[in-house]
Amino acid sequence: MAMSSKQIVELNVNGIPHQLLVEPRKTLADVLRDDLGLTGTKLGCEHGVCGACTVLVDGRAIRACLMFAVQAQGPEITTVEGLASDGELDHIQKAFAENHGLQCGYCTPGMLMTAHAFLAENPEPTREQICEGMNGNLCRCTGYQNIIKSTAAAAKAAK
Amino acid sequence: MSETLDLREQAIRKWGSDNRAIRKGKWIGKPARRLEDPRYLTGAARYVADLELPRMLHAVYVRSPHPHARIVSIDKSVLPGLGKTVFAFTGEDLRDVPPLIDHVALDNLLRTPQPVIAIGKVRFVGDAVAIVLAADRYAAEDAAELLSSVVEYEELPPVPNVAASGASDAALLFEELGTNEIYREAITHGEVDEAFAKADRVFSTPFEHNRYMAAPMETRGVLADYDRADQQLTVWSSTQMPHFLRSVIAGQLGLPENKVRVIAPEVGGGFGMKMCTVPEEIAIPFIATQLGRPVKWIEDRHEHLIAATHSKQQSINLEVAVTNDGKILGVRGEFVGDGGGYSFNTESALIEPALAAKALPGPYRIENYREEVGAFLTNKSPVAAYRGVGWTAANTARELLFDEAARGLGIDPAEFRRRNMLRSDELPYLSCTGQVYDSGSYLESLDKALEAVDYQAFRQRQEELRQQGRYIGLGISSYVEQTAWGSESSAQAGTPLPSHDNATVTVDPSGKVTVAVSVSSHGQGHETSLAQIAADGLGVDIKDVVLLHGDTSNTPYGLGTYASRSAVIGGATVARAAADVREQILQVAGKMLEASPEDLVIEDGKVSVAGTPSRFKTLADVAYAAHWDSEVRNSEPLLSATRFYDPPANYANGCVVALCEVDADTGVVTLDRIVAVEDCGMVINPMIVEAQVHGAIVQGLGGAMLEHLIYSDEGQPLTTTYMDYLVPTFSDVPPIEVISIETPSPFTVGGIKGMGEGGQIAAPAALANAVADALAPFGARIEKLPITPDYVLRLMGKIG
Ligand code: FES
Ligand code: FES
Repeated sequence: MAMSSKQIVELNVNGIPHQLLVEPRKTLADVLRDDLGLTGTKLGCEHGVCGACTVLVDGRAIRACLMFAVQAQGPEITTVEGLASDGELDHIQKAFAENHGLQCGYCTPGMLMTAHAFLAENPEPTREQICEGMNGNLCRCTGYQNIIKSTAAAAKAAK
Repeated sequence: MSETLDLREQAIRKWGSDNRAIRKGKWIGKPARRLEDPRYLTGAARYVADLELPRMLHAVYVRSPHPHARIVSIDKSVLPGLGKTVFAFTGEDLRDVPPLIDHVALDNLLRTPQPVIAIGKVRFVGDAVAIVLAADRYAAEDAAELLSSVVEYEELPPVPNVAASGASDAALLFEELGTNEIYREAITHGEVDEAFAKADRVFSTPFEHNRYMAAPMETRGVLADYDRADQQLTVWSSTQMPHFLRSVIAGQLGLPENKVRVIAPEVGGGFGMKMCTVPEEIAIPFIATQLGRPVKWIEDRHEHLIAATHSKQQSINLEVAVTNDGKILGVRGEFVGDGGGYSFNTESALIEPALAAKALPGPYRIENYREEVGAFLTNKSPVAAYRGVGWTAANTARELLFDEAARGLGIDPAEFRRRNMLRSDELPYLSCTGQVYDSGSYLESLDKALEAVDYQAFRQRQEELRQQGRYIGLGISSYVEQTAWGSESSAQAGTPLPSHDNATVTVDPSGKVTVAVSVSSHGQGHETSLAQIAADGLGVDIKDVVLLHGDTSNTPYGLGTYASRSAVIGGATVARAAADVREQILQVAGKMLEASPEDLVIEDGKVSVAGTPSRFKTLADVAYAAHWDSEVRNSEPLLSATRFYDPPANYANGCVVALCEVDADTGVVTLDRIVAVEDCGMVINPMIVEAQVHGAIVQGLGGAMLEHLIYSDEGQPLTTTYMDYLVPTFSDVPPIEVISIETPSPFTVGGIKGMGEGGQIAAPAALANAVADALAPFGARIEKLPITPDYVLRLMGKIG
């Protein structure tokens, strides 16, 4: 139980630079949540399976529970709080609202971030491609049906 | 027939036929978009883990690594900074807190008091041994690891399953009971022996229902804050039953109930798991009162998989006596629960086997039935509620057996069901186990589901493909789902519990509506569906309705959300209260418009004289006057009403049909399609109903195909991460079509029935029957779940 000493970490989150003093062993997810108060990023397993903690690091979907904050210095990090602008939901958030793509909402931030990265690479996905591309995110409420529908609708809306 | 009329009359006499209270306008029945979504979509929704208070301590549990052991010593002095920066509590420190005991009203059920932290003995891997606290989660984890390494145990022989539990030389989990079998009872309905003696054929099946769990995406979590000056305790918990939890905490900690406030903030899924009071919900608040500092405990996933309540596990032996032409004469069933280390509070270890036994008849005409129920303690995490409690197991065993019987008799499985299913005109019907099926569409649901998959064409294709060595299968699963869980419903389920719920509807001076309910939402969309009811009741837009739930300080007392009760109870209490407030508004408006209140209508936020829409006042004007204008206001001017509802039982129903293909070389089952017909009476919001069916079906799919909490013969849990405990992912799930039938309940307010569990009740049997159907050429009989590829190969005789 070695207490690790803290060090300065510089993070760029949702377009804002931050300087923080954190233990090197602290995960990016914990730093976002505890040190920056960005609690939209969720923890569902803390061992890299559920995808609830997904954030974008330079546009790529990354599991924030598997990355240390010290490793995330430099790139642009986007969390769910960074999606809507001026209170206006983005097209993926809107598609989830219009297609009932969420129930308890706990998996939702991770789903939205994964959908962003996925749709950027696959602008016109088939059902199979959505299932494959989003397969690393678990949802216990929706049975995925309406998340698939929402993601497909978001792809349409982007066109 | 006269008996059915009697039942209807009795129920209406007892409960009233209060359908007047539901006013259907622009909103009820519409797929209204959810009002609560924006905060979830923007990351603004706050769950327990997201809350922080000044001087807050983080709690981490030390949990037993042994299935069965005596605690010899716990040396807290190893912790640096003990009492200053680090704090630790053991069972001995919480001796004054009474243990948790189930409150099932059965004399012959043995009780297993569970201390909120183990005292003297641990009974499963994951049993709580100590709680360690520090200002930061990482530091608390470090300290817990250190303390964990110095706890001394004396290991006892483990009791890993029911067979070991019942052995004559088994170690006893509770020595004072003298046995591990805490319940055994048989009840006979009708003339069972005669039925079996008369039968042309008897079919039987042993069935092992697997242990799996709700595993909501948000684990459990508790934050407690005690204000010593005001002696006020506030507890935030990821619970489905905030008011009930308040009553239990007050009782356990000896606090006046008005000094305890419980808040269920956003709850990330519950599925029944979060209805029981868990020991952590008592221990954490107790420690907060001792330290005078806020204490937060957030369960991690590993802890959740071993120490949160498990569910579903039971063994069922079922026999059905039939005639050659497929008429069921009688059924015998033995249901034995594997309850885990404690017969858990709220519903006890009977929660699975007893509910299964009572629900066994389902939508069928079964008049002669013998049910035998037993429950054993084992060194595993306790079994408690999960969506479709007991009913999943009963439905699966029954539907599997009926397919088996149909195959044995050479009758089509759909036809076998039709010959034994209750017709709509036979309802209300008193089942042999005392359940009053109010109304439904059992045969219609079956027919609609089969029509949707073009049953005859499927059978043809199946034949053709078999010639080519390809195995496709179709599984049918019909069900009734007991809903509207109030006093009557729980009594009909065989586990009587009193019920109490209210809603308050208030119109403020600006004419906007606030609804406070005792039911509690954890993803079901109550903020929308109950707003739809209030909006129609008062003639306003749903956007003008704010719904409060989950906080005991601003909602009326009630039991929260479980067992598909909230649409019925929440809906009725809101509808009744809104009707009262409407009367109050019309009184005032009548004076303002110089018209009789009976001649007024409220629509789109305006009160007008019926037939003369130009003579109107806005609701805002009326509400303002109702508060401030002494000329027109009522003698009790507040535009507010609180109404109560304890509903009669009612029963939703439906049918799930699944289509699959089995790969004969690998044993892999590919699910092609699932069709679900759901009849839950009057539908408030079809979009929400459809999505509930999706979610429940996929949870059932998880239990049938993937999920299994496995313990070794030594009592060690082997499924302790999401790498070993497999919940369904996107690619496990086929397209699901939901077809709705609406048969209103004749008994409840507005004809609403509950729903939400049917998918989990019915899907496992539909999937299992589909696999068994595909493998019929191999004579396969499914006797356990989940249906993994190696089990499939075994069923085909390809591996031993
Ligand atoms: S919390 Fe990061 S993957 Fe589950
Ligand atoms: S909406 Fe609840 S976990 Fe996905």
